[in-house]
Amino acid sequence: MMTTLRAFTCDDLFKFNNMVSLIPVCQYGIPFYLQYLAHWPEYFIVAEAPGGELMGYIMGKAEGSVAREEWHGHVTALSVAPEFRRLGLAAKLMEMLEEISERKGGFFVDLFVRVSNQVAVNMYKQLGYSVYRTVIEYYSASNGEPDEDAYDMRKALSRDTEKKSIIPLPHPVRPEDIE
Amino acid sequence: MAARGHVQDPNDRRLRPIYDYLDNGNNKMAIQQADKLLKKHKDLHCAKVLKAIGLQRTGKQDEAFTLAQEVATLEPTDDNSLQALTILYREMHRPELVTKLYEAAVKKVPLSEEYHSHLFMAYARVGEYKKMQQAGMALYKIVPKNPYYFWSVMSLVMQAISAQDEKLAQTMYLPLAERMVEKMVREEKIEAEAEVQLYFMILERLGKCVEALDVIRGPLGEKLTSELQSRENKCMMLYQRLQRWPECNSLAHKLLLKNPDDWQFYPCYFDSLFHLMDDSWTPPEEGEHCVEGSVHYTVAEVVRFVEERIKGEDSKESRPLRGPYLARLELIHRLREKGCPEESQLGEPLELMLQFFGKFGDKPCCITDLKLYLHLLSPDQHIQFINRLGEAVPLGEGGEEGFAFPEDTKALQRHLCVCQLSRALGLHHALDTDGKLRLITELKAHYHHGLQFGKTSLKTELQFSDMYCLMAAHVYIDLWKENGDENMVLQCLGLLQEGLSHSPSNAQFKLLLLLLYCHLGAFEPVVDLYSSLDAKHVQHDTIGYLLTRYAESLGQFAAASQSCNFSLRFFHSNQKDTSEYIIQAYKYGAFEKIPEFIALRSRLNQSLHFAQVRTERMLLDLFLEADIVLSLEESVKAMGLSPEEDDIPWDSIRDNRDLTVFTSWDPKDRHLTEEHRRLSLEEESVWLRIRSLTLRLLASLALLGHTPSQQNSEMANENGVGDKSSILSSLLSQLDQTLQTAAQIAEKHTQYPFLGPPSTRLAPALSSGSCQCQVAALQLSVHLQELETLGLEILNKCKGDLLEMKDSRLKTWPSLLEIHVFFVETVCIVFWMASYCAKVLRPLKASLQKKKKKKKDTNTALPAVVCGFQEFTGSLQELLAQALEHIKGQETGMTALKLASFTLEGHTQEEGSFIKAAMDKVQSSYLRSLQEVGDLLKKRAETLKNLKI
Repeated sequence: MMTTLRAFTCDDLFKFNNMVSLIPVCQYGIPFYLQYLAHWPEYFIVAEAPGGELMGYIMGKAEGSVAREEWHGHVTALSVAPEFRRLGLAAKLMEMLEEISERKGGFFVDLFVRVSNQVAVNMYKQLGYSVYRTVIEYYSASNGEPDEDAYDMRKALSRDTEKKSIIPLPHPVRPEDIE
Repeated sequence: MAARGHVQDPNDRRLRPIYDYLDNGNNKMAIQQADKLLKKHKDLHCAKVLKAIGLQRTGKQDEAFTLAQEVATLEPTDDNSLQALTILYREMHRPELVTKLYEAAVKKVPLSEEYHSHLFMAYARVGEYKKMQQAGMALYKIVPKNPYYFWSVMSLVMQAISAQDEKLAQTMYLPLAERMVEKMVREEKIEAEAEVQLYFMILERLGKCVEALDVIRGPLGEKLTSELQSRENKCMMLYQRLQRWPECNSLAHKLLLKNPDDWQFYPCYFDSLFHLMDDSWTPPEEGEHCVEGSVHYTVAEVVRFVEERIKGEDSKESRPLRGPYLARLELIHRLREKGCPEESQLGEPLELMLQFFGKFGDKPCCITDLKLYLHLLSPDQHIQFINRLGEAVPLGEGGEEGFAFPEDTKALQRHLCVCQLSRALGLHHALDTDGKLRLITELKAHYHHGLQFGKTSLKTELQFSDMYCLMAAHVYIDLWKENGDENMVLQCLGLLQEGLSHSPSNAQFKLLLLLLYCHLGAFEPVVDLYSSLDAKHVQHDTIGYLLTRYAESLGQFAAASQSCNFSLRFFHSNQKDTSEYIIQAYKYGAFEKIPEFIALRSRLNQSLHFAQVRTERMLLDLFLEADIVLSLEESVKAMGLSPEEDDIPWDSIRDNRDLTVFTSWDPKDRHLTEEHRRLSLEEESVWLRIRSLTLRLLASLALLGHTPSQQNSEMANENGVGDKSSILSSLLSQLDQTLQTAAQIAEKHTQYPFLGPPSTRLAPALSSGSCQCQVAALQLSVHLQELETLGLEILNKCKGDLLEMKDSRLKTWPSLLEIHVFFVETVCIVFWMASYCAKVLRPLKASLQKKKKKKKDTNTALPAVVCGFQEFTGSLQELLAQALEHIKGQETGMTALKLASFTLEGHTQEEGSFIKAAMDKVQSSYLRSLQEVGDLLKKRAETLKNLKI
């Protein structure tokens, strides 16, 4: 993959122009990035090519109640520039986020993905994620596209020895029912 | 009564409906409800504040402020009022008032953790670091929690960072911060990772690298667990700063053993080797080489290490990593730089690059990787290299046109990579015209053939063969620039439009189309292209220049205003946004992010583009509306423009433009150089200075036009006018100087790469005479007659057809369009000048007429100056009439132009239709520009009639 992996800094915002999202985040402005940098800087990692080009980045957070065994890592955004696809970069970045979540004592890692985005769903499946539940109309309509459901996909971490956190829910849920 | 108080505060219940109204945006009802409540409970302060919020949100700022201050002077200590006032002040953009509020509150309730903490955050919002330091300590004394103590420490660091005097930072703030942390270390009170981070930050800023290293490697360093490899990265950084090359070397190869793909450690590893060699380093006779372990201090060892990493990849079942293979090329590059003969031990670069292509040629990034090392090939190897690469690309049987095509996407990617490499080696540029045309045919054939692989892909996905299309477009541009054959650029537009129809989210297609239309002077299609790029936040700063450079100069004033607004909205929100997150960073202990956020804020505030859109937006508003909608004076006042004030941070201006946003495979000698960047920034700055001085001159002209009405205050006004005219003359001499610098810059005729930064309007502004005419207008001393001839000259330069059809070929003259706009802008300024003259002359004429009546001498002629002025306005009227006539002629001519007669030989029907569509866009855009220019001139001509004296 041939990459420098390092903490994301504000100056990276100025080099963003060739980035295409795997998980859509684009609606948010600078505040969105700053919020993550202020709260979970370790979860915000950027990959840089030998020539200095930005290859991709991952942005996540830790959240949930420890008592209810819901403390987990969450993938908020994962992007890889088109020319750096097919190198396993997304997998590497996901692996790093999982490692950070392990260290924080998380029970699992989760992420949301459009039901229609088969490419992404398959990629996450390959990385060991499974569909935990469907969230109805999680993505609100934009650009003439209708509302769309999301899969909430999860992967258990070592702290969840019995893999309880990933037992699929029998019924879909509404966005207001998730935390 | 008192006993009931703690059950539930009845005021909460009373206020609830007002909160609800405000939350729902029903401000009117909130105000009414508050009034009702205040009738019964006069002392319910919070109700007043809530009413003030309602007033603020309905645009009654003054009333809201008065009401808020009524409550604030009472120094409230109830939560409701404090919170409501905080919200209100924030909405008023008066965060400094929040600090006053809580200063009073903590005085009254000195032991409140909550109010002290609010006070700290209020200071943070306005950047009062010294007071933050004190507030943090005060908090810690009330409640001895570690975070409060370290808030205080961090505020010391911030004082150091923001100190003008670096000595003060190094001898006072930082040592004090260090001592504060050391005290906690001694008392074994360090708890959190953030505290160690902060300690490290302090030591690093003090340059105490040895101490910092001890902390990181010691027990405190064990707390650094959140960030992956945090301790190792910090150690590496410190070893480098301390020039401890053995440790650098040892740690780098240890980390590379763990992850042979982590690029950042290869340069460290190689660098350390050369430093060790320079120092003739030898290991100690016994024991470890250094604290990090063994050291590779000879070329042979390093070569072996890299070769072993490669062997490791070669023998792997899973896909090999690129790192080690590229590291080998990097090592050759560095050995060659150093003149080390061992370079040859690693192999022949040509063979190694072929091998790399063999392994990774089907990855889209292969070109990005290899182009870094093309200089390792000698020029006479280039053709051989490309030929041998070509042999390694599996292609199917030759088709009709003699082209052989790839049968799957992997083969396509390989073939594409060879094309990219030949372009990067300059082989495309070496072709003659026919060769280039054949190349275009071939690239287009591959593009069309490759579309079959992406038939089922989503709209948001790119086509596998898109890059062929882009490359063919680049070759078209080469031909256009070399031969001036405009047919090439039209075919290029057609091809890119076709590409976009197959791959609607390809940003590179859109960017290049946008640039080409701008070069052709057609801004209309650009608006949609840019908006489909869906530029977000910082992108307004990094690529916004593409829009703002052209919109106004091509006469699309409405679009120009809009483009400025996009950018301005972003810049203005930034100020507010960042302070919120600085506070959050304190709360979560992300101390290292705080200086970063502040640096981000200043980088945006000092942005070149920000200063440009600020200035251009105001100029545009004046050009379009001053003395049409509002008077010049009123417009200037409404903008809050003051001639004295220069709001551009000239010395610290930041060029945030992304000048490499266009994909390019051009050879190195055609790349954008640092020198280009420097020249471009210089040119932009000078042009900005001209525009900003023009704006300030107009402001001072407007205020000068504000003639005194009261006789008795003559003295005071005289002084006032005196000041104003001295500003005017100082600005004029600055403008004069800037124009001289500008002339020198224009003489250089700097040519940037086509895909690099656009040139500014500076050169045409000078060559059209627009600058000179504007200065002449602004310099009252110049004879009015001269103005007229100069103005006429600009108009004369407008003559000629924007769009021509000769021998069934289309020819565009976008520079003419630019001159039209200069003409309009100049007319505006001359007009405002004239209207100032009218103001001065009118009372003069009136008094003369009075005298005349007294003397009953009907033969006395009007003084020459008045006649001269009347003559001048008359000819200005004439000039505008000519200009309008000319534009009308242009419009008629262009509408009559039959683009259909344009011949499209050698193109398929589909290609032809795309080219035709692109031409239509250019034509329609020209018409729109002419219309906007004409409309504005008409309005000016209308108001010119008021200039009679």
